[in-house]
Amino acid sequence: MIQTVTLTIDGVPVKAAKGASVLDAALEVGICIPHLCHVPFLQDTGACRICIVENVKNGSSRVTTSCTLTVQEGMNIQTNSEKIRKLRRNLAELLVAQAPNSKAIQDIAVRCGVKEVRYPFRNENCVQCGRCVRYCTEMWKANALGFVGRGKNRRVEFPFATRPDFCKNCGSCTLYCPMSITPCGGPMKRGEEHLCGKCESQAVTAPNIIGACTRCELGKGFSCTRHML
Amino acid sequence: MRKFNHSSDLEGFRQELLEERKDITSTIIIPNGTCCQAANSLAVIKAILQEIARQGVDKNVQVHLTGCHGFCEQEPMILFEPGNIIYCRVTPEDAREIVGRTVKGSEVIERLLYTDPVSGKTARTEAEIPFYQAQDRQLLQHNKWVDPRSIKDYIAIGGYRALVKTLDSISPKTVVEEVRSSGLRGRGGGGFSTGRKWAEARSAPSDEKYVICNADEGDPGAYMDRCLLESNPHLIIEGMMIGAWAVGAQKGYIYVRNEYPLAVQHARLAVKQARDIGLLGENILGSSFSFDVEVARGGGAFVCGESTALMTSLEGKVGEPRPKDIHTVKEGLWNRPSVLNNVETWANIPSIIMNGSGWFASKGTKGSKGTKIFALTGQVKNTGLVEISMGTTLHDIVFNIGGGQKNGKAIKAVQTGGPSGGCLPLSKFDLPVDFDSLYEAGSMMGSGGMVVMDEGTCMVDVAKYFLKFLQDESCGKCVPCRIGVDRMLEIVTDITEGRGTREQITLLEELSETVAETSLCGLGKTAPNPVLSTMRYFADEYFAHVDEKRCPAGVCKALISYDILDEKCNGCGVCLRACPHGAIKGEKKKVHAIEPQLCLKCGICITECKFDAIAVG
Ligand SMILES: Cc1cc2nc3c(=O)[nH]c(=O)nc-3n(C[C@H](O)[C@H](O)[C@H](O)COP(=O)(O)O)c2cc1C
Ligand code: SF4
Ligand code: SF4
Ligand code: FES
Repeated sequence: MIQTVTLTIDGVPVKAAKGASVLDAALEVGICIPHLCHVPFLQDTGACRICIVENVKNGSSRVTTSCTLTVQEGMNIQTNSEKIRKLRRNLAELLVAQAPNSKAIQDIAVRCGVKEVRYPFRNENCVQCGRCVRYCTEMWKANALGFVGRGKNRRVEFPFATRPDFCKNCGSCTLYCPMSITPCGGPMKRGEEHLCGKCESQAVTAPNIIGACTRCELGKGFSCTRHML
Repeated sequence: MRKFNHSSDLEGFRQELLEERKDITSTIIIPNGTCCQAANSLAVIKAILQEIARQGVDKNVQVHLTGCHGFCEQEPMILFEPGNIIYCRVTPEDAREIVGRTVKGSEVIERLLYTDPVSGKTARTEAEIPFYQAQDRQLLQHNKWVDPRSIKDYIAIGGYRALVKTLDSISPKTVVEEVRSSGLRGRGGGGFSTGRKWAEARSAPSDEKYVICNADEGDPGAYMDRCLLESNPHLIIEGMMIGAWAVGAQKGYIYVRNEYPLAVQHARLAVKQARDIGLLGENILGSSFSFDVEVARGGGAFVCGESTALMTSLEGKVGEPRPKDIHTVKEGLWNRPSVLNNVETWANIPSIIMNGSGWFASKGTKGSKGTKIFALTGQVKNTGLVEISMGTTLHDIVFNIGGGQKNGKAIKAVQTGGPSGGCLPLSKFDLPVDFDSLYEAGSMMGSGGMVVMDEGTCMVDVAKYFLKFLQDESCGKCVPCRIGVDRMLEIVTDITEGRGTREQITLLEELSETVAETSLCGLGKTAPNPVLSTMRYFADEYFAHVDEKRCPAGVCKALISYDILDEKCNGCGVCLRACPHGAIKGEKKKVHAIEPQLCLKCGICITECKFDAIAVG
């Protein structure tokens, strides 16, 4: 039998399988924690930080990513506090300023309540979520992709920058890439980037209700876990 | 060399060594660490040895090559014991006279003595030098007596006695208790209680555990760890052995950055020597304790000093941090319980065991015990490594040990804690230096970098420098650090180049909070500190840049211009010849002028003009 633990998420007691992540436990019961780099069945690395929650313990709270946090008996998690909403919004703003040409990122920005972008747009074509790398490495054991470089210069690359013959051409990397679908209005040219914001009506952004998953369309663009299950 | 099978063997060996050395009448001590070598100590040593061979000295005079003694600025130095006579800034040409007059004739050569730049007095002995007087050199004092390449030296001064004491009579549990009650806190930056860390690792169930020494030391300007490891490697190994005994580890690693070749070399040699005489390996000194150490070289990425990145790197993978929801004392290297401590933390262990936790706890402040080594640099007269009792004030360090301002510009701030730390203004100089008070004031103890800044330093520029460093050194894995720090740098660059706005300052504050709260590892979490602390204490400088487009310190090139003052210029033409960009025009004996379009603001003309006729505005 599966062993379970009980924890509280946003005030609601939730049962979860022992060893599950807080993110999975929340999604399972329909609480939406926005996420980007998490893909079910792949190792979580905590790269995008969008899935942050507050872990409240003895009166003080710690901000941490829910995809890397394992459920524990009696845990008290806040996914939608004012603090989390603000931090998440700022993170999503950083992301969308970096890569506005992605429906997934634009969707996440909307979901996280980004109303304006206070940085000059950069229009890059990778957000380094590492989905492609992990899928290739863990699912297919192909190791055809990896990260090279550090900091600003970090990027996804084939070994020695050429497609190796052990790449199985399966296409998973593009399938799971949040950058592969452009915003509905088509690709934005340099200098014309903007916050799309079209799907706002569908997003669960009202602060007073719990961030319940409504199976919104937002997740489709980047394969939100709930759309994949 | 023979192998020891019993703990009494070591004491016997020490007695033999002391007997062997009892006839030595005098010792010529020449520091030869990395910093000393950079100051040409190798040539001095060669010259001294040649002179000794040529002139011939008593066979009981011994030449002793040691690690650095901390007063790096005065190197190469030579010390004579007994007598404690010290010569500073020695050149190879002095060798002949030194051997002839001091070694053979016991005469002091006045011109090689140290002159205190503050009082102008000369000091004959090390003990008379103000730089040393205000220090409490518990760890650094050994450097003088130990040739890092000689395990005999270390044993002769009482080395490995703490280990013997531990194996003979202290249970692992008591060792942990002792370290805990000493109040020792990690010297690598976080200041976590070492005893608590050990207790957790000890209670973690596993048949295999590790102890690791963090000698990655990536903070710009900091080199205490290098000095300790390179000058006294056995001290670190002894500390690690005691720790391993306490937590039940069989294997230890010293992770040292590859840019420290001498430290790598000395650590490797020390491990080999300890193995050869049975201090490392199976059943050490006939006990049930088996332990070995491996020296691993790191590629020198700053982030590899972070605990999880360091362990990932030790496992042979790319050194990127991983989420730390489970602590490394439970699941660290190869998912086994691992105790990671800083070099200086390990170095403190043997003396805590030898002298007791009470002795250690008697030094320092309520929350921070013992001593701490700082690398004092920047705009002070005396620079080098200083070891002080916790609780010494910043003022004492900067003015008494450091000797105060160097270039006639008033001191205005001190930066502690490296890229994770912050800048404290003069008004905070009476703060006692300890973990908690520095943290409360918005800075950090960090690993021990201490940079003194004067009126010629622009605090916005300082913030920019650290952001640039962090942006380069971020591993790039997580969004807040990779993108957030980069955006912070973008904003601060805008401010220094005159494009800054008030809104950007607000945004900078908000972004700082986000980066600090949401980053994956300590690098990102502390990255905003240099910005936040300068904004807190030097807000007026930020506003001067933003509102008035003015850099008060005259550093930010986009906001300054160079002008020749008509009343002071006598037309000598030195600046005209000195300017590499041909930006200065003028006829001989007539007032010169700077062409703003051509001037690249390099500042060469200012240093060349003898009449202070060039002003920065
Ligand atoms: C970005 C980063 C760099 C670090 N670099 C070092 C370092 O160079 N040396 C060090 O001892 N600790 C460093 N640390 C701290 C270590 O993570 C760790 O806390 C420390 O080695 C633990 O030892 P201690 O308890 O003895 O201080 C660094 C931490 C971070 C976040
Ligand atoms: S290529 Fe796509 S999937 Fe891969 S890291 Fe970049 S954004 Fe993520
Ligand atoms: S905070 Fe910076 S250094 Fe740490 S994991 Fe994130 S990107 Fe890497
Ligand atoms: S989904 Fe958790 S950090 Fe990206």
